[in-house]
Amino acid sequence: MPRLRMTGISKTFPGVKALDDVSIEVMPGEIHALVGENGAGKSTLMNLLAGVHQPDSGTIELDGEAVEIPAESAAGAHGVAMVHQEQSLVPRLTIAENIFGGHPPVGRFGSIDRRAMVAQSVEVLGRLGLPVAPDRLVSSLSLAQAQIVEIAKAVTRPLRVLILDEPTASLSPEEGQHLFRVMRALAADGVAIIYVSHRLAEVFEVSQRVTVLKDGKLVGVRNSADVDAEDLIQMMVGRQLSFAQDTRRVAADAPVVLELVDVTAPPIRNASLTVRAGEIVCLAGLVGSGRTELCETIFGARPIRSGEVRLDGKKLRLRHPGDAVQAGIGMVPEDRKLSGLFLEMDLQQNVAAASLRSFDHNGFVSWNDVRTTTERFVSLLNIRTPSVDRKVVYLSGGNQQKVLLARWLVESPRLLIVDEPTRGVDVGTKAEIYRILRELAAAGTALLVVSSDLPEVLALAHRIVTITEGRVSGELDALHADEMAILRLASPRARLTLDETEVA
Amino acid sequence: MSSEPQVAAVFEPQQAQTPGRKSGPGLAKRGAFALVDSRPLLLILLNLLLILFMYLKTGSGFLSIENMSSVALDSATYGILTVGMMLLMIAGVFDLSIGGVLTMTGIVSAIAANDGVPIVLAWGVGIGAGALCGLANGLIVTRMRLNALIVTLATAGIYTGMAQLFSGTGVTEIKSGYETLGQTQWLGFQVPVWIWLGLAAVFTFLAHRQRWFRYLFFIGGNERAARLSGIDTNRVRFVAFILMGALAGLAGVLVASRLDAAVVSAGDNVPLNVITAAVLGGAALTGGSGSIPGSALAIFFLSLIQDAMIVVNVDVFWQQIVVGVVLIAAVSTEYIQHRRSS
Repeated sequence: MPRLRMTGISKTFPGVKALDDVSIEVMPGEIHALVGENGAGKSTLMNLLAGVHQPDSGTIELDGEAVEIPAESAAGAHGVAMVHQEQSLVPRLTIAENIFGGHPPVGRFGSIDRRAMVAQSVEVLGRLGLPVAPDRLVSSLSLAQAQIVEIAKAVTRPLRVLILDEPTASLSPEEGQHLFRVMRALAADGVAIIYVSHRLAEVFEVSQRVTVLKDGKLVGVRNSADVDAEDLIQMMVGRQLSFAQDTRRVAADAPVVLELVDVTAPPIRNASLTVRAGEIVCLAGLVGSGRTELCETIFGARPIRSGEVRLDGKKLRLRHPGDAVQAGIGMVPEDRKLSGLFLEMDLQQNVAAASLRSFDHNGFVSWNDVRTTTERFVSLLNIRTPSVDRKVVYLSGGNQQKVLLARWLVESPRLLIVDEPTRGVDVGTKAEIYRILRELAAAGTALLVVSSDLPEVLALAHRIVTITEGRVSGELDALHADEMAILRLASPRARLTLDETEVA
Repeated sequence: MSSEPQVAAVFEPQQAQTPGRKSGPGLAKRGAFALVDSRPLLLILLNLLLILFMYLKTGSGFLSIENMSSVALDSATYGILTVGMMLLMIAGVFDLSIGGVLTMTGIVSAIAANDGVPIVLAWGVGIGAGALCGLANGLIVTRMRLNALIVTLATAGIYTGMAQLFSGTGVTEIKSGYETLGQTQWLGFQVPVWIWLGLAAVFTFLAHRQRWFRYLFFIGGNERAARLSGIDTNRVRFVAFILMGALAGLAGVLVASRLDAAVVSAGDNVPLNVITAAVLGGAALTGGSGSIPGSALAIFFLSLIQDAMIVVNVDVFWQQIVVGVVLIAAVSTEYIQHRRSS
C-alpha cells in the first residue's frame, strides 16, 4: 500500500490555476523525485501536503486512510514534515531548542526537561551524522548543518512523509552527498521521501521514481533508471534543450579586460588572474574557498590590503562598489533576494537601480525611458511578467535572475561578474541564461562566473580558475577539463605541481 | 511560500513580450509614482469625513476660512518636519532628535537676533544650527554604524539639554521684526503654511524625479542590494540626516517667530506627532516606500482632530492619547496590508 496517495488534486489561486487534476503516489521507503519548471506547481502541491494551503478538490491518503491537513501543525501530527528552501530555524536559539521548538520533553510540574532534550538531541543528531553539541547556537552552523537540524526537527516525531524542497541548492558536493546518505538511511527506516529539485543529475543519483509536472498538470511518472536527463527535460519543458559545451574560443590576442595582480584582501591571498574581452572565466572552488569574496573584492565591496585590480590596463581605486560600477563592472550576487533584488519594488525600479544616472534628463529621472528600457529587456531576455509594474517578489526565481542580469546590461559593462548564475532556476530558464551569457561574451564583454555546479562550469567556461583557501590554485582550459580535474585542483589538500596545472 | 511561481506559468512568452500600458495596472498604480497611491485618497476621505461631521455637529464656523487657516498653521511646523522624516523613513531610518533640534535652533536663532545679528541672518543661523545637529546625527549613524533610533534618542537628550543651557530662563523673548516670518498673512494663510506647502510640493517632485532622492527608496528597500548596485548608501543617508536637521532648524525658527519667543518646551511631543503623520501617510517602517503628499494630509488630519477636540471642549490631555491611538491604528493597517500581500 502506498504511504502517500494524492489523487485528482486541483488548486486555483486568484487568477491562476496552479494545479489541475494532479496525482502522486509514494511508497514507504521510497525516495521520490518531483521535478518541473518553476511555475509547474511543485511547491503548491507540496504546500497542500504540508497544510500551508488547502486543495480545491482531490483527496490525500496516508497509508490508505483519507486525511485532511487544514494547517501546518496538522501535517506534523500526521507525520508529514517539510524542509523548506528557506530555513525556518531560529538562529539565536540552540540546536536542541530548535529541534524541540514546538513540543519539548516535559518533566515534572510541566517544566521543560532540558536534560532529556539535550540527550535526545544528541541521539537524533548522531543518527543523522551531525556530531555537534546540541547547546550550540544555530547561527554558528553552516547552511548544510542547519539543514540537517531541520531534518532532525522532523524526525523527533513519528515521521511518515518527509518533503525536501531544493535541499542541495546551497550545498557543496560533499555536503550534498552527506544529505543523500541521511535520506537513504531515513528511507531504509520506511519513511517516504519526496525530493524536489532542479538538479537532474541528483534526481538520478538518489531517487527511485520521478514525477514530472508541467504548467500545473501531471506529465507522467517514470522509474528513474528508465529515463535520462534529456527525456526528463523533454517532459518538463516540452522541447529539447542543449547544455553542450561552448566550443568557441577567445583569440589569444584579445585584449585583457580584467587583471588582478597579487591581490590580498583576507581571506583572499595573492590572487592573480586575467579575463580577456569575450572570455568567460569560471571560478570553481568549494563553498568557503573564497570564490564569492574574490568577486566582492573585484567589485569594491571588500577592502584590498595589497595588490592591484586593473580594468583595461588602468589601475582601479575601489573604495566602494560605486567605484567599480563607474569603471564598468557589474555584479549579479550569489544571494538574489538578500543582496540583489528590491523585492517590494517593481521591475522598472529593479532594472534601473544601477544605472539611474543614464536615465537623467536635465537632472531628472525620465521614467518613460526607464519603462521603455525595461520593456526592451523584458522581451530581449524573455522575462515572464504581466507587466513592468509587477513587484519582483512575485516573479519566479529564473525571472528574478534575468531581472538582475538586465540591471547590468542597461549600461553594457566591460566586465560582468555573475555569482551562481542559475541557482534555484529551472532548466528552461537555465538554458536561456547560458544563451544570454554566451551572447554577452560574443559581444566582447568579459565574464567572470562563479558556480558550485560543475557541469555548469564545464558548459559555460572557456577557462576555469580554481580557488582553494583564498588562493588561486590552478587553471584549466574547459575543453580539456572534466569534473575530476576541477575537483582535484579545488580541494584543499591538493598538492600542485606544474604538470597538473594546465595553462590555457 | 517565498514567491508565486504559479504566476509565471500563466503568461505565455508572446504575451509577456508586449506588456505595454494596457496590461499594466495603470498610471495610478505605478510603483514609480509614490505620490499617487491609495493612501492619500484615504486620507482625503478621512479629512472630509471629519470636517463634515464637525460641520453637522457644530455649524459652519468649523468650515470657516479662519478656522481652516488656523488648522493649517498648526500643521505647518509639523508638516515641514514630516517632509524630512518621510525621506528618512523611506531610506529606512528615523530621527527622534528633531524635537530637541527644533527647541535648540529656536533659542540659538533668538539669541542671535537679540545679539544684533540681522533678522534674516538670524533665521539662517537657526536653519544652519539645525543642519549641524543633523550632520552630527548623520556622522554618528553612518560612520560609527550605530542604530539611528538609539543615536537620535541620545542626541535628542543632548540637544534639549543644550537648549535649556542656552536659554537659562526657559523663555527667550525676541526683539521685534523676528516675528514677521511666522505671523504675516498671505492670501488668508500664514507664511509658515505657504512654506510648508511649497516644501512639500518641491520635495514630492524631487522624490519622484530626482536621482539622489530615488536612491533613498533603494536604500530603504534593500540596503545591501543598493550598495551592490553602486549606490553610496552611507553618503546618501548622511545627507538625508543633514536635510532633516535643516528642516528641523527651519521649524524651530518658525515656531519661535510665531510666538515671538523661543521656549524650551517647543519641541515636546514633536517626534510622536511627526512619526505618526509619516506612518499614517504611508511610510513603511521597514523603509522603501512612502508618500510626502500622504504625510501632509496625515498631519492636517491630526491637526483637524486636535482642533475638533478643542471645539467640542475635550480636555487637551486627550490629544496625545488620540495621537498615540492613531499611530497604532496606522501601523496596524500597514501590518494588515503586508499580511495580505504576502
